[in-house]
Amino acid sequence: MTALVVEALTVAFGRFTALDAVSLAVDPGEVRAVIGPNGAGKTTLLDVISGVTKPVSGRVMLGDHVDLTQRSEAEIAKAGVRRKFQKPSVFPALTVHENLEIGCGPALPSRDRPARIAAILGEIGLGPRAAVPAGRLAHGEKQWLEIGMVLAAEPALLLLDEPVAGLSDAETAQTAALIRRLRRPDRAILVIEHDMGFVEAIADRVTVLHEGRTLYEGSMAGARADARVIEVFLGR
Amino acid sequence: MSGAAQTALAAPAGPAGRAVRDPLVAGLVGLCLAAAAALLVAPPAPYLVNALGQLAAFAILAVSLDLVWGYLGILSLGHGLFFAIGGYVCAMHLLAQGVAATGVLPDFVQFMGWTRLPAYWAGLDHAPYAFVLALAVAGLVAFVFGLASFRSRVNGVYFSIISQALVYVAMLLMYRNDTGLGGNNGMTGFPLLFGWPMGSPGVVTGLAVAALLTLAAVLMGTRLLVGSAIGRRMLACRDDETRLRTLGFSTTRLKLGIWCLSAMIAALAGILYVPQVGIINPRVLAPDLSIEIAVWVAIGGLGRLGGAVIGAILVNGLKFWLSAAMPEAWPFILSGLVLLVVLVLPNGLLDLVGLRPRPTWLRGAR
Amino acid sequence: MVEPLRALLALCCLALLTAPAAAAPLDRARFAADLCGDGAAQVRGAEGLVQAGGDLPADDLTFAGRLLGALAERRLSCPADGALLLDRPGAPEGHDALTGAVRPAPEARAPVLGLRQRAVIETARGAVALLTGPDPAARAAGLAVVERRIATVPAALLDRARDAETDAGLKATIAGLAQATALSSPDPARRRAAIAAVAASPSGTAQARLAALKGDPAYAADPAFRAALDAGLAKVSRAVAIGDGLAVVYNGLSFASILFMAAAGLAIIFGLMGVINLAQGEFIMLGAYATYGVQEAFRRFAPGLLDLYLFAAIPVAFGAVALVGITVEALILRHLYRRPLMSLLATWAVSLFLVNLVRVTVGTQNLQFVMPAYVSGGVPLYADFVMTWNRLFAIGFAVATLVLTLLILRRTPLGLDIRAVTQNRDMAACLGLPTRRIDRLAFGLGSGLAGLAGVALCPIYSVNPGMGAGFIVDSFMVVVLGGVGSLLGTLVAALGVGGANVLIEPISGAVAAKVIVLVGIILFLQRRPEGLFAVRRRR
Repeated sequence: MTALVVEALTVAFGRFTALDAVSLAVDPGEVRAVIGPNGAGKTTLLDVISGVTKPVSGRVMLGDHVDLTQRSEAEIAKAGVRRKFQKPSVFPALTVHENLEIGCGPALPSRDRPARIAAILGEIGLGPRAAVPAGRLAHGEKQWLEIGMVLAAEPALLLLDEPVAGLSDAETAQTAALIRRLRRPDRAILVIEHDMGFVEAIADRVTVLHEGRTLYEGSMAGARADARVIEVFLGR
Repeated sequence: MSGAAQTALAAPAGPAGRAVRDPLVAGLVGLCLAAAAALLVAPPAPYLVNALGQLAAFAILAVSLDLVWGYLGILSLGHGLFFAIGGYVCAMHLLAQGVAATGVLPDFVQFMGWTRLPAYWAGLDHAPYAFVLALAVAGLVAFVFGLASFRSRVNGVYFSIISQALVYVAMLLMYRNDTGLGGNNGMTGFPLLFGWPMGSPGVVTGLAVAALLTLAAVLMGTRLLVGSAIGRRMLACRDDETRLRTLGFSTTRLKLGIWCLSAMIAALAGILYVPQVGIINPRVLAPDLSIEIAVWVAIGGLGRLGGAVIGAILVNGLKFWLSAAMPEAWPFILSGLVLLVVLVLPNGLLDLVGLRPRPTWLRGAR
Repeated sequence: MVEPLRALLALCCLALLTAPAAAAPLDRARFAADLCGDGAAQVRGAEGLVQAGGDLPADDLTFAGRLLGALAERRLSCPADGALLLDRPGAPEGHDALTGAVRPAPEARAPVLGLRQRAVIETARGAVALLTGPDPAARAAGLAVVERRIATVPAALLDRARDAETDAGLKATIAGLAQATALSSPDPARRRAAIAAVAASPSGTAQARLAALKGDPAYAADPAFRAALDAGLAKVSRAVAIGDGLAVVYNGLSFASILFMAAAGLAIIFGLMGVINLAQGEFIMLGAYATYGVQEAFRRFAPGLLDLYLFAAIPVAFGAVALVGITVEALILRHLYRRPLMSLLATWAVSLFLVNLVRVTVGTQNLQFVMPAYVSGGVPLYADFVMTWNRLFAIGFAVATLVLTLLILRRTPLGLDIRAVTQNRDMAACLGLPTRRIDRLAFGLGSGLAGLAGVALCPIYSVNPGMGAGFIVDSFMVVVLGGVGSLLGTLVAALGVGGANVLIEPISGAVAAKVIVLVGIILFLQRRPEGLFAVRRRR
């Protein structure tokens, strides 16, 4: 059984084809990194999985039964998919605590919320900042808060869009450690990232996208050795 | 950050506690109650009582718009439609009651050559039915329009101009005489209210008191709402709707619910307004009037319920005074006020007294 | 063999061409003698003239007219050596009727008209006036006289008058009279010919006139008449339907032109900056007032060129309103680009300000415009379809605006900048484009287009301070329907909305048509919020 199967996914914006028959499969408990140069279609892939964009053709299966391309964003989220956006995407008018409360999702009974929120606050290290409006947080704190928000619902599939973009080396190392802690047998994690060191530190396997197509799939070491990958991406 | 505050947040106080913690709303509610009491004990000149009652009705209308604009980021330029629905149904009730009591048909019915009221007026002489009908029609129209818009993700300025087209269409329709609702001239000449002659001092005072009490209730109710978990979702939706959806919330349902509630509050304002002015005609459906509601909210302070009330009362109070004192100057003053607020005081006049709304980021509502 | 044939052919052609003028000139001496004769001779002369009137050369008619006039005004003297025309009754000398030579007038007989003769003579005078009158008024007076005794007037005379007539209104009156006469003629062949003639120039009036003949006894009695009438009626009905269709298309086109003019500027501003300019209607109003200003300046300083003021107003209105737009942008909107809803309220305040400024300074009354020939009247093209010049002016204006705007957007550096910023503002800024300056120029362009719309509207709409309010909802619906950032989308949407309005209007009335179209657009936008022509973009 697989956690996520993407089958022959094609997405077009006007005449531009962003994804061209892309397929990939992620196992439960796996951390998969999707890499590729700018415009390879990485963020578009996440857009389709999270329901923001609808594909021209192809399917995205969560587990064995749920086709995500037929669902709204809210339904996809309820099915256990959470996404961390590229730009830190927190609600600036709400406090850290209130952001996490919303992160718990509509399904969690309210009596279970305080414990869940307290646990997450501890995990992301923002306990002392709970009453601060999220708009006043530093950039790194916003990234962590957002990871906390997507964790609050205990997702089965976690989508991370460039989680260390713009972070310092120390913050990147902290984030890598955080992601390693998030790994669970019943949870698949899909990461999009440019930072090769970071990808090597967290990913079980990598998928290389180029101009909307899958170029390579396998271990990071294999990717470094693959001639085509070197040519389009690593070699630059 | 003090430890006590943190504890309070970790285990949030009850919603009632939050409402009380808003000094502006609490103060305004207190003022409404005090004014209502003062009117009952020592009523001033009837025209002042009447003006106060009208201001309260406008304030309710402003609160209804602030609820969707300030807290949900949906700027409706068609709220005059819901106000008019309340007003028209109320006028129908007053006329139907008059017909039941006196047997004399309203002028416009005679003008159309009809011998009795059209069939859909049946039962409108019963106040509870008319009241429920007004709210139901406003809610239903809002539901249909909102469902279609929110489902297909119409938002921002698109929603604004489409809602403006909606109120414009309604105005064109109501100008026709064959609607059976008075056409061009609208409806006026209401003889009775609950059996008492319209315009008697008791009725004038009663209406003003009712408007003030309703304003107080609406303020408290909406403050409880925006302080609740739903209120936090509204702010989240206003600032980043896509994000909220990817966290598992159906924003369509949230927006639709608040939108319908707002429409019904606007209808309530219309119900209270019409008996106080004694007339309703299609001019309340002019797009300009609907934009003016937004102007009241922006001037008073967007995203803060008390701001909407202050804006409505300030602008309309000025208007009452200046339209009589120097009618030529009023439009210039109004446009100047709007530009001042928009350019210099982004949070409205509340900026002047330092009472900023708690969320200083209103990016979704601009 | 060929040569003589060709010569013969040429001769025939020549004969055909000159036939009407050459045919049977008036025997002037005999005519003069008749008028000098007894009552019966006078009647014979005058009736003969009327009967031959369709074929007589023009100078013969003038000659006859002079004599008839003199007779009626008792200035005709009849000595034995030939008729004399006196300058006034009883003058001592006069001109010879035939030669024009001056001769003394002896105490000769001046014929007096009897009641019966007077009517005949008046009819003949009327016929001459109708055919040779120097201006439409004289000819119309002649027609009025002829009409009183229409039964005595031959068809050829009316036909000739109609063919020669230059005034459109009078021509139609003559034609109508000729038809009516022929249709009620006792001669069946002439009636059938008249039916065919009526059917040949179809109109709603012709249709009604023919339909009325169905009640004529001859319709039941005379199969030939019946067949001719049915055929004629069918032909007319078809043509009237086509003409009405053309009129609908034309009206739709002109309405669409106005919509497009009003919406084009909005589309550019909205597409580029996301600003809902609620003052656009007032910018149109300012354009119309600028036109009025130009007209008044012409009236004052160059009254001879007054008819050209509409063209002179084009650059003035564009420049003035563009300047207003740029000022508004620089003072207000510049600060509000990240706040589209606030810029909407700000432009509403601007519109309120402008309306009341004009109201206070100029007044609330409708402005009076001179209508030069090129925007008044029209030309009937087919059946009832009249192409009116003022609407054609608006259509032409809109086409010119479209072409110019497309040229600016596609072929100038500013156009390239505008398109770049519309499509990707951040990228354009990264490439070093001065986006703020481009915004300002584009806002000026969009406002200037509104000013042009104001010029185009002057010949059609009433111009007053509140005129802008009527455009804003319609034109925004057009912009959104067309798809933001697509000028061609705006064009298609304007054509669609204009066409739908004029198509629905005859069925349900103007207000209901507007309601139906707006509701249709609202529903369409709910299904397709990005409009007709927007490209799907990545969010």
